[in-house]
Amino acid sequence: MANVIGASLKRKEDPRLLTGNGRFSDDIQLPGMLHAVILRSPHAHAKIKKIHAEEALKSQGVVAVYTGKDLEGKIGPVPSSWLVPDANLKEAPQYPLAIDYVRYVGDGVALIIAEDRYVARDALDLIEVEYEVLPAVVHQKEAMQEGVPLVHGDIENNIALHWKAGEVADEIINDAEVVVRESFYVQRVFPSPLETRAAIGQYDAGSGELTLWCTSQNPHIHRMVLSDVLGISEAKLRVIAPDMGGGFGGKIGVYPDEALVGYAARDLKRPVKWIEQRSEHFTASNAGRDEIIDVELAGKRDGTLLAIRVKNTANLGAYLSTMGPGVATIDFGLMITGAYDIPHASCETFGVYTNTTPTDAYRGAGKPEATYQIERIIDLYAREIGMDPIELRRKNFVRKEAFPYTNAQGLLYDSGDYEKPLEKALETLNYEELRQKQRELSKQGKLIGIGFSTYVELCGFGPSEVAGAIGFQGGVWENSTVRVHPSGKVTVYCGTSPHGQGHATTFGQVVAEKLGIPMDDIELVFSDTKSISMGWGTYGSRSTAVGGAAVSIAADRVVEKAKKIAAHELEASEEDIVFENGKFQVKGVPGQQRTFQEIAKSANMAWNLPEGMEPSLEAQSFFKPENFVYPFGTHAAVVEIDKDTGEIELKRYVCVDDVGRVINPLTAEGQVHGGIAQGVGQALWEGAVYSKDGQLLSGTLMDYALPKARFFPRIESAFTETPSPVNPLGAKGVGETGTTASIAAVMNAVMDALKPYNVKDIEMPLTSEKVWRAIQDGEGN
Amino acid sequence: MNIESSYTFKGVSQELLWKTLQDKESLRRSLPGCKSFEEIAPHTYKSELGINIGPVKGVFTGDVRQVDIKEPESYRLLVIGKGKPGEIDAKADMVLEETEAGTTLICRAEVKVTGVLAAAGQRVMSGVAKVILGQFFKDIEKETKEMAKL
Repeated sequence: MANVIGASLKRKEDPRLLTGNGRFSDDIQLPGMLHAVILRSPHAHAKIKKIHAEEALKSQGVVAVYTGKDLEGKIGPVPSSWLVPDANLKEAPQYPLAIDYVRYVGDGVALIIAEDRYVARDALDLIEVEYEVLPAVVHQKEAMQEGVPLVHGDIENNIALHWKAGEVADEIINDAEVVVRESFYVQRVFPSPLETRAAIGQYDAGSGELTLWCTSQNPHIHRMVLSDVLGISEAKLRVIAPDMGGGFGGKIGVYPDEALVGYAARDLKRPVKWIEQRSEHFTASNAGRDEIIDVELAGKRDGTLLAIRVKNTANLGAYLSTMGPGVATIDFGLMITGAYDIPHASCETFGVYTNTTPTDAYRGAGKPEATYQIERIIDLYAREIGMDPIELRRKNFVRKEAFPYTNAQGLLYDSGDYEKPLEKALETLNYEELRQKQRELSKQGKLIGIGFSTYVELCGFGPSEVAGAIGFQGGVWENSTVRVHPSGKVTVYCGTSPHGQGHATTFGQVVAEKLGIPMDDIELVFSDTKSISMGWGTYGSRSTAVGGAAVSIAADRVVEKAKKIAAHELEASEEDIVFENGKFQVKGVPGQQRTFQEIAKSANMAWNLPEGMEPSLEAQSFFKPENFVYPFGTHAAVVEIDKDTGEIELKRYVCVDDVGRVINPLTAEGQVHGGIAQGVGQALWEGAVYSKDGQLLSGTLMDYALPKARFFPRIESAFTETPSPVNPLGAKGVGETGTTASIAAVMNAVMDALKPYNVKDIEMPLTSEKVWRAIQDGEGN
Repeated sequence: MNIESSYTFKGVSQELLWKTLQDKESLRRSLPGCKSFEEIAPHTYKSELGINIGPVKGVFTGDVRQVDIKEPESYRLLVIGKGKPGEIDAKADMVLEETEAGTTLICRAEVKVTGVLAAAGQRVMSGVAKVILGQFFKDIEKETKEMAKL
């Protein structure tokens, strides 16, 4: 099939999922299966004096109760997988169940295993834990002060890491004509996938193999880490990620809970299932963001930007999560200059332990925060010098001719044309007319705001050497096997593991185009460590750029071999064979051809292969990209604010994203929409709230506001295509662009609307009350 | 979280109110949803309360200790409660002020909660506490009448 790449095909996955034929973790039923629940700490910080489990154990149907002490020496701590170098990183061991101290509300204290989940849940109430409650610390800047409680007694000032990149001399800032300073808080939010986390363990006592189904964005990383934690050979641990209802970063983490389920299944020699409750999810699953960002942007009065100096104080929670240490350092700190050619930049990051749930990567992981601070401060700079924010952006954009471009922090941007999406967005908005309308409505007392975010982000987590240099405990290359059966039907094994992205569709399109066969002839296999040799996961918008590229290369190799066989059968030289529309054709000799299916049969039967050729038609690829990919674009929001109530209405949302070559515009647009919803959610509605003593006050969906479809106008989305040179598909990443860009776009729009009151910042989320107060306290009131 | 509530017992003397508030039986009858109430040491009680107001639902077991007793003006209650929805740790100053109308009982409490009480209940906790205290004050008022007959 030709021209499949770039076609808006409907998702191959949907008929199955929409008709209730998906297989999610909770759909898995195994004979003799037991059910697990985890007793979690109600205190943010306490010493465990004693655990009374006798009553629970007496309860009919309860099979076992494990405490941290029971597991001591039998199961290791769960480590972080991002050991950022040169940061004086101090990793406190996180045992699967707390042993002496609990360090956040939600910290695991006991594991209860029972014949059914209701018995297990009821037994939870029968366990009595004697705690000695200790003072807690919640806020990261407070946690660094002298004399505050220490989360881990031996880690001074609660500082988990202190990292620096780049240098900006004081003179540059001091001597600059204009310096704009602001402190932004990118608040803690919850990834909140539709499906909570889950794990099911099954142990085969005969073979000694442990199978673990779990909600993982990276089953092979789970296998690698958990084999160590559980003390089981990597070859005897099989991790499978079933269908998943989203992850958004919250399912990257290797959690203590999955280790517990695996341990119990092996110990009891019976399958064990654990499904996280929604309320449990709020305290037991990694959160995102929680970074206080102090920015100084210096430059000339004509709008020339010279230097940016940033300090990020990040709340890492009570333990280092799987990727937690890398988010506010590498992901954030190297991207602080955004899409602009700013010659000097520096970032200093403190990662701080607090008595809160750990934070980890959440959709965008560091890039939304980096984009937020640069896009917000650039608007404030424009306001300071009285320049249109669009003009200031244009003046400082990295020029199209400058690519590949090395930013001030040393990252090499692969390709870009930042004006292109900006122009397209302005055209869609009808910008000049819109500004005119804003002025007119302002005379009628209406508050209209227009905000932009011209972002660039680092995606396609790829080059292994770079991963090593930045302390990431993984190879981050990808692999794929394309196996052609005698009938010409194809099975494709893919390293990256989907959880809602639609890999079966987009990767299927790549194979269909390459092999010239119908989509229906292609089956894709994901997410099982036993059938797939390796994979480094789906996060950082890397699946298509790295995993899809691996699929593409493997498919090319299949064609290469098939061509040799066709040439042999057609008695032509290989150079004379043209492969088009699924047919190998001798150039200039009509009728002299073989179909892909015929060659598939020949290869598998191997009755008559070229001299020395091995049988079968199958190819594997291991793709290690030379660089990251850097998608970019322009997002614009138009808001109207009700002066009397502070209520914000999102009137329009226009986005033009350049994610390189788009494999499927329909699914790409879907990704952008979802990303925008989560970014706008952060700006306007979502926010974790802790009390001073570490109790989570926003621990239900009544108290934590998730974005809903009716909060949004029709999103006006489009793409420009600037291919990436670092992978054969030319693809960049699309999964996180919406989130990365939209937080700043909406905030800038609101600040633009509140310009008459000279409001410069309001802490997110922008509840009506906060906006109303800002208006009341603003100039002219 | 701070909770403050007061109630004026009309025509009740400070002394009579004090006596009622110190009487075990009166307290047992007045504590909302009281399932048990026993003195385990001087000025230290163990109790079980069944409470059902919105998300604050379930049986709470609690230790209540009276300290800083200044008869008949004031005392301090230290309450540690435990129930399925979470734990409560409260310190309440109880002040009895004699006025022309009678005696006003002022309760100023600093309350810490955990679990569902914190996550979901905090929004309504002060309202719930006021309802419970109001009920308690009214019942104590009845008890003062019984006490006056003795």
